[in-house]
Amino acid sequence: MKTNYLLPHKYKTIGWILFLLGLISGIILFIVGYEVDILKVDVLSILNVEPLFGEDFGFFEIIENSIMDELIALAIIVGGLLVGFTKEKVEDEFIYKLRTDSLVWGLLCNCFVLIFAILFVYNFTFLHIMIFNMFTPLVFFIIRFNFLKFKAVSHEE
Amino acid sequence: MKNRIKVERAIHDMTQAELAEKIGVSRQSINAIEKAKYVPSALLALKIARFFEKPVESIFFLEDEE
Repeated sequence: MKTNYLLPHKYKTIGWILFLLGLISGIILFIVGYEVDILKVDVLSILNVEPLFGEDFGFFEIIENSIMDELIALAIIVGGLLVGFTKEKVEDEFIYKLRTDSLVWGLLCNCFVLIFAILFVYNFTFLHIMIFNMFTPLVFFIIRFNFLKFKAVSHEE
Repeated sequence: MKNRIKVERAIHDMTQAELAEKIGVSRQSINAIEKAKYVPSALLALKIARFFEKPVESIFFLEDEE
């Protein structure tokens, strides 16, 4: 089965490690309220708007920022992409179909959860939903894909 | 689409995993095709038929409503 966007199987392990580390530390960061002072470094900010403190716009400035949340977000996304888009040990047309089906399912599932949240969650709580929503399409996709793969071998005669 | 892969496997005394390995697909594929949950591509159907040395039509058949 020829596919042009899948990476070799060897990257899957590093993908799982990054993805799970990212998810666990992301949940910890959420519990402590995103307030951490570790890893504070100077970063380049190309646009910085602070509406609460007047109409100050900042273009291309160097600011100080804890890069903990950035690292965690990147770990979840890069790890998730590696898990979802590396070849299986045996890659064939059925696995390919499971992957695309799971992608569609993940996206739809994410949209329904988002619609529900838009209708029934307000104010600051919705911001938390938005943060989760950055990752849920990938997370739903990976859970569904692995569930289907597992189900397809679990009840052999 | 129905198929008699399970019967052919029994004749050759093979497990799903062995058949999958011989044909070069995943075990999930053979399992799903056997249960008629997945319709294989023409390419894969031909490969399976060639392995059992039978014409495709004697392994895969249309159901009445198809």
